Amino acid sequence: MSKVTIDPGLYDRAKKAAETAGYSSVDEFIAHCIENEMKRLKVESAESQVADQLRGLGYLK
Amino acid sequence: MTLNQEIVVVSGLPRSGTSLMMQMLKNGGVEVVTDHLRAADQDNPKGYFEFEAVKEIQEDASWLPETRGKALKMISMLLYQLPPTEKYRVLFMERDLEEVLRSQETMLRRLNRNPAPHEQMLEAYKIHLEQLENWLKGRPDITILKVGYKALIEQSQQQAQRIGEFLGRKLDVDEMTKAVDPVLYRNRGQTGQ
Repeated sequence: MSKVTIDPGLYDRAKKAAETAGYSSVDEFIAHCIENEMKRLKVESAESQVADQLRGLGYLK
Repeated sequence: MTLNQEIVVVSGLPRSGTSLMMQMLKNGGVEVVTDHLRAADQDNPKGYFEFEAVKEIQEDASWLPETRGKALKMISMLLYQLPPTEKYRVLFMERDLEEVLRSQETMLRRLNRNPAPHEQMLEAYKIHLEQLENWLKGRPDITILKVGYKALIEQSQQQAQRIGEFLGRKLDVDEMTKAVDPVLYRNRGQTGQ
C-alpha cells in the first residue's frame, strides 16, 4: 500500500465525512474520492477533445 | 402536449447519417429547419440541412419555440444545451465509430486540418456517448429513438415506418426511402466518407 500525506485538518474533515456517509474507513472514503475525481477528469478531457474535433469540422462555434 | 408542439431533433456524431435522416424526414413530409448557409459539397452531396443558430443555442434559444412540430439537426454535443422548457423527440443516429472517425478524418484533411490521433479520438467519442446516455436519463423532456445507420441503408422501408411511429405521424414512407442511395452509402463505408 502506498501512503499519501494530507493536512491533519483535512484528514479530520474527511474522517467526519466518511463516518456520516457510512464508509467503513477514512481510507476507503479517500480512495473513492480519488477514483471519482479521476473519472471526472477523464470525462472532462474526452469531452474537450470531442469539442475540439467538432469545432475543426465546423459543427461547433 | 400534442406531437405537433414537440421539436424533432436529429442528432448524433457528425458523419453518422444525420443529413440523410433530415433528407428522409423532408421527403416524408416533415418540415425541416435549415438556413442553407452550409452548401452541399463532396462530403455531403445532398446538403447539410444545418441551422447555424443551433451552434449558439446556449447564448440564444429564443428561436426554439418557432421550431415546434418541425425537425432540426443538432450534433450530440449540443444536446446538453437544449433548454428543458420544450419537449423533444430525438432521432439519434448511430454508426460504427471506426467509420464515423475515418469519415471525419477524411473531411478534416479536405479542410486542410490535421486530425487528432485516431485511437485517442475513438476513446474520447466512446466516453462522450456514454456520458451523454447517462445525462439523457435525467431529461424526461427528451424522448429518444436510436437509429442505426446501417439499418437505415439496408432496411430503409422498415426504419422509415419505425421513425413515423416514433414521431406519431403519418409519413410518406416511399418518399423517405428514395432519400437513401445504397450505392453511394456503400461506397462511403468502404472509402471512409
